[in-house]
Order: sequence, then C-alpha cells, then structure tokens
Amino acid sequence: MSEHGVSTRVVVLPPVPALLPSCLGRTDPVIDLRNACRKAITWLVEGGTAPVTVLADAPDQAARSRGVEVPLGIRVARALLDEAEHRQEIRHTDAPTPGERRLLVLANGSGCRSEKAPGHLDPRSFAYDKRIETALAEGDSAGLAHLDAELGRGLLAAGIESLRQLGAMRLDVETADLLYADDPYGVRYWVTTWLCDAK
Amino acid sequence: MTLKLGQRSFADDATLVMAIVNRTPDSFYDKGATWAEDRAFDRVAEVVAQGAEIVDIGGVKAAPGTDVDIAEEQRRVVGFVARVRAAHPKVVISVDTWRAEVAHAVCCEGADLLNDSWGGFDPALVKVAATHDVSLVCTHTGGLTPRTRPYRIEYADVVADAIRSTVGQAERAVSIGVDPRSILIDPAHDFGKNTWHSLEITRRLGEMTATGWPVLVSLSHKDFVGEALNLPVGERLAGTLAATAVCALAGARVYRAHEVVETRQVVDMVLSIAGRRPPERTIRGLA
Repeated sequence: MSEHGVSTRVVVLPPVPALLPSCLGRTDPVIDLRNACRKAITWLVEGGTAPVTVLADAPDQAARSRGVEVPLGIRVARALLDEAEHRQEIRHTDAPTPGERRLLVLANGSGCRSEKAPGHLDPRSFAYDKRIETALAEGDSAGLAHLDAELGRGLLAAGIESLRQLGAMRLDVETADLLYADDPYGVRYWVTTWLCDAK
Repeated sequence: MTLKLGQRSFADDATLVMAIVNRTPDSFYDKGATWAEDRAFDRVAEVVAQGAEIVDIGGVKAAPGTDVDIAEEQRRVVGFVARVRAAHPKVVISVDTWRAEVAHAVCCEGADLLNDSWGGFDPALVKVAATHDVSLVCTHTGGLTPRTRPYRIEYADVVADAIRSTVGQAERAVSIGVDPRSILIDPAHDFGKNTWHSLEITRRLGEMTATGWPVLVSLSHKDFVGEALNLPVGERLAGTLAATAVCALAGARVYRAHEVVETRQVVDMVLSIAGRRPPERTIRGLA
C-alpha cells in the first residue's frame, strides 16, 4: 500500500480461448494456467471497489471479417471475473489513464515456440519472450514500453500493444509476482500480478 | 429420467454399454467362445476393464436349437452370477432370461437386472423383479414364443406395436411393484421382425425415446445388419456401429453389444456431434 493509502493492482494474463467456459470439454487442457488466473483474478477483485479496466487487443481485420466484434481478451476477462463473482461493469480501453486502480491486461508471448505450436517454430520467439518475461517478473514497467509490435504480430504474440500501453504508464511496481510462466502448447503464457504505488 | 440399476444410479443423460457374456455353447456370434466358465469369467473382467457398465449374462441362445431346460439354464448362469458378483461388486449384472425360476435364482445371487428378452412370455418374471427390487427390460417380440423365428410376421405399424407392447409391459411392471426408475424398454431388433421392420424401428427410434422410458437397443451383428449389407456374421461390425450411431442420435440410453470399446466410442462421438456431450478435451485452435 502506498503512503497515500491508494495503490494500483495490475494483472497480466493471456487471452486464451481454452479458458472460456464455452470451449471447455470434459477435461481441462489448461488447468494449471486456469488456476493461476483464478488466483490472480481473486487478488485483483479483492483489491478495492474501483472499476476494473481491461486492456485488450481489438479484433483484427480478419476476425472482424468473420463477424467477431467483442475482443477475445474482453470475453476471457469477463468469464474469469464472472467466475470470481465480480459482477460490476468492466471498462475496456486501449489507452489507460494514470488513475487506474485495477487493471487487467490480456497478453501472451510468441505462438511459435515449437514445431507443434500454432505458428510452427520460429527461433526468434525465445529472445522476444524472454524480454517480456523478465520485465513482468521484475516489475519493470518501462521495459514493456518499446516492445516490437510488428515482430510480435509475426510471432503470433497477443496484446503487445496493451503491454506497450502498460509500459507507457511507467508504474512504480512495489511487488511483482510471476504466478505462471509456461508454453504447454507452444504459446508463451504468463500470469503476473503487480502491486504498484499510486502516482 | 434417472436410471436406477441395482445399487447404481445413472443421470438422465448417461449412456451405458451392456456387454454380452454368453454362457452358451452355440450363440450365433461367438459360437461358444465363453462356454467354459473361466472363459466367461475372463470376458467379464475384460469388458469391465473396457468400461462396460452392465454385463448381460445369458444361458440360452435366442435362436432355436438344443433344448435348455430350467435346471440346465440355472446350472449355466446362477453360480456364475454369484462369482461375478463377488469379483465385481460395482458392475451391473443383467441376466438374459424369460423364466421366472431362473430370474429368482440369479436375483438371490446378486443379479441387478432381468433382461426379459422374450417380452413378458412368463408373466411371473415381473413379480420376481418386484420382489427382489431389481431392474427390468421390457421387450417387443410381436408375441413370439421364446426361441422361435419370425415367419411371415406382419404389423400395421411395427413402431406403434413396439411402443404399445413395451410401454404396456412397463406400466404393468410398475403396477406390480417394480421401481419405475428401474425399467428399460427394448424394441428388440430381429425379434419377431423381418429386416424391413428392424430398419424401420431404427429409423424411427426417436418415437420410442419420446415415450420417456429409457430405451435399450440390441443391435450387435444381427441379421438385419447382415441382410442390409449382405454380409455374414463376423463381418457386420461397421453396420452394427452405423445402427448404433442412429440410435444414439435418437436418444437410446443402453447399448447391448459384443464390442464395448467401439460401441462406447461411437455413442460418445455421436453425442458430441449432437451437442449432448462435451468433447473429452479441446485445445486445437484454442491455445
């Protein structure tokens, strides 16, 4: 808690369709990820009464052409918050303001980390993801500000623009906790919590 | 409707595989493969391991043949039921018999379900089910005597007759004291039916499931499959599974079968296609 008694809680987790209840079969292929997300969301929900702002990529042109309107990240965020019985309205933005108190960022690393990965193997994935992972683990907000969004798109990373926006906030991270970091299907997932001093 | 079979209850969307276990030297498909009691016992262990919820033990082949009297039928199945009960306390034990005397004896040894496959030929059998509080399959045979073949049998409407007969038997069973949660109805493909009848029963099975009574189907390698495809016994698995798929889509609850694994896979796949069963695990395109 900051000296002013107000802090900002940030959660970063991946917009994985398999997290949606409508995509869940009889067994859960992302159970470890889901458990980490639940833990982070619980922590976020418990962090006061301020609105939760969700920072997520808008659907790209290809998705829009298929009729997708609501961003995947928003749907994943809504599902996880619903499960945590957080019924308040959420605010979707692509430009967070300094006054945010509860911020949920939907992002993941490369989807090209193995031959079976959605985007096959691209060796550039590892350095790209390492940089993000280090920044998340160390609470290095500024370290996210200048991520290469174009390379990220090429590597099937998601939410890179959102991470850049998070970086641009230059948050003063008091505690960073990387709850989950793995790539079970060739896509790098992180679940991170940041407790930040208010500016 | 929740299905209560022996000590077990099954949710109203559960489908069950009933594995055929013959204690006969002359059944049409396996031709005595499990005639030796130890072989039959091994077969039970195998089908239980494969996931069959029910084993259906029969001591008399359905078709005409060597006479099997009550004493001989009891010799074949009663002690065997006791042995299966001791080794497999959870599996639902069904016995395929039309005789009340045999039914009583197997219930005393732990049978859970009486598969009255000759459609109430012995009216006393229902009383045995009520007395022992066991489950009952009510079967349509068109009024045939046990172990006889259909000969020029005709129906104005075979499906209507099957519904009238099986539902009538079910209601009578309830009136005599059988738990309504423990009753299945079976249109009995090939029994009292030519191939056209059995195909029509399959095509219109939804009319039977619409009665609300849980429907059992017994399709495995039967002659209607053989005649539809012009294939001998031993080459009817694909046809059997196609019929199984149609019945699954129509909402059948219990599938009496020789091949447990294949039957289960077909039923599960059809129910997933129908949106009535979530897929086992989905990550393709969703990671």
